[in-house]
Amino acid sequence: MSRVSRSDQTVIRVEGLEHTYDGKAFALKGVGFEVKKGEVFGLLGKNGAGKSTLIKILTTLIRPTEGTVTILGMEPSKDGPKIRKRIGVVQQDESFDFTTVQGNFDIYGVLWNVPKEERVRRREELLKRFGLEDIRKKRAFDLSGGQKRRVQVAREMMHDVDILFLDEPTVGLDVIMRRQLLDFVREDVKKGLTVVFTTHNLEEADYLCDRVAVIDSGRILVMDTVDNLKNMYKGKKTIELTVESSGAERFYERLATTLGTQANLKRESESAAVLSDNPKETLAAILGVAKETGAQIEWLSVRKDTLEDVFIDSVSRENVG
Amino acid sequence: MAYPNLLKLVYRNIKVNTDYGTLIILIGLPAMYLVFFGYGFQSIVSGEGPGNSYLPFLTPGIMAFQTVMAGTVGGSMLWADRRYGMLAQLLVGPFTRLQYLLGIMLTAVMFGFAGAAVMLVGAYLLIGTVSIGFVGALVIIVAILAGSIFFGSLMLVLSALLKSNNAYNSVQVLIIFVVNFASTVFYPLSPKLPVALQVLFDINPLTYVANVVRDGYSGAVAVGDAYQIAGLVAVTLVFLFLAVRSYMRSGVSFS
Repeated sequence: MSRVSRSDQTVIRVEGLEHTYDGKAFALKGVGFEVKKGEVFGLLGKNGAGKSTLIKILTTLIRPTEGTVTILGMEPSKDGPKIRKRIGVVQQDESFDFTTVQGNFDIYGVLWNVPKEERVRRREELLKRFGLEDIRKKRAFDLSGGQKRRVQVAREMMHDVDILFLDEPTVGLDVIMRRQLLDFVREDVKKGLTVVFTTHNLEEADYLCDRVAVIDSGRILVMDTVDNLKNMYKGKKTIELTVESSGAERFYERLATTLGTQANLKRESESAAVLSDNPKETLAAILGVAKETGAQIEWLSVRKDTLEDVFIDSVSRENVG
Repeated sequence: MAYPNLLKLVYRNIKVNTDYGTLIILIGLPAMYLVFFGYGFQSIVSGEGPGNSYLPFLTPGIMAFQTVMAGTVGGSMLWADRRYGMLAQLLVGPFTRLQYLLGIMLTAVMFGFAGAAVMLVGAYLLIGTVSIGFVGALVIIVAILAGSIFFGSLMLVLSALLKSNNAYNSVQVLIIFVVNFASTVFYPLSPKLPVALQVLFDINPLTYVANVVRDGYSGAVAVGDAYQIAGLVAVTLVFLFLAVRSYMRSGVSFS
């Protein structure tokens, strides 16, 4: 179920998008999706999956090699400045002027043509809302990682935007700070803001997004609402295990053969995650292979379907394919 | 009231770059040259400038030198904005790449004029009298304008090409030193200098800025100044083109 009431108006349309930095390796390949007004659209992928490249194209910072992009009914190649007037962007890297927190807000307000009285009102409201009042006189570069991130997100709200792009805004934040930041964004989403949000954190995508696109090696592997994606995996369970290193190679080779197509095995060194429709049978197979190969299972757990399973499943299927 | 983007960017540049550190470099260093060199060399220099005093000779030189300092600040703006993410942030805002570049250039020009004016005031306090005519003021303005744009362009090329902090600072210090002392800022071009140094003086645009400002300051504007200005403008246009080209081709950040 969508967390907010969305309109049917499409604010972002991407078709056949491809991008290469060196003319050879594709950073993005055949990417296409639509985002409706008031929607929180998540781009979920590991580091280097192509999320930031996609954000750079959507925010008009770079031009795609192929494909069409429409933002708020306008094409970035023709109407870049007009589009940029209506979007806000919190980039992955920190970006501050060499001045105080308050100074950063004020300068941003001027750059975005916010009238003086309104500028002061918004600044004070945002400083309060984001808990930045006590550090308003501190220089932005002297702040902690969490404070900097809050300033970056809050600063973007100094001006009116139709679409807010958040490129991994929670990197480096602790759990509490991360949740606070997401809550700040959710408050504005309730007022109708459209958000495009990139992350490699599955819990965040689950918490914030209406729809999620799993992206890997520049391609969208799966895309749906968070609830639909989870429903696709209803009844499935993930068995996570770690095997003692000396017998791991033989164990996993044998396990892969034994499971066949019955379950989806994703291995990383001595650990693995097995997504299965029939966890009882899979568990029995795992224990059987362990006994047969003499491998020692150091750790084993069974958990219910989460968005993480969607991610692991789609990425590992892609890698196998 | 909606201000043009260029003015908003200039406002931001001034606001961000008027911290104590920048002001000391921009105003303090040339002012120290004026005071220490002005008084220090006074006793051994005679026959240069009006009233046979070194200070009236040095003052227009230091005014010209302000164009180098202004250019340095301009280059540092681009370098810092690329290094600390603000260039990418501004370019996803309502600004074009060209507006950003013009914003830096206009700020450098303003810093050049402000610095030259401060030196003029300083000279008045030290010498007790400054008299510049209309034509003199006009050629000074043109020379400071062209000089600021030239050195702004030169530093922008550097900041577009260099990615390491150490490399940028080292090259900048080297350029400032050579440009400053291989020019007529502190002393006239003497035929007794080694030929290599004379050539360095001749190809250094600061020499022409200093010469023209000095002639404007001392009321000795002649046809030769028009040629010097023409040459200066031509070189400035070439470097402005190179600055725009290298900036447009450079990435918005180092990451």
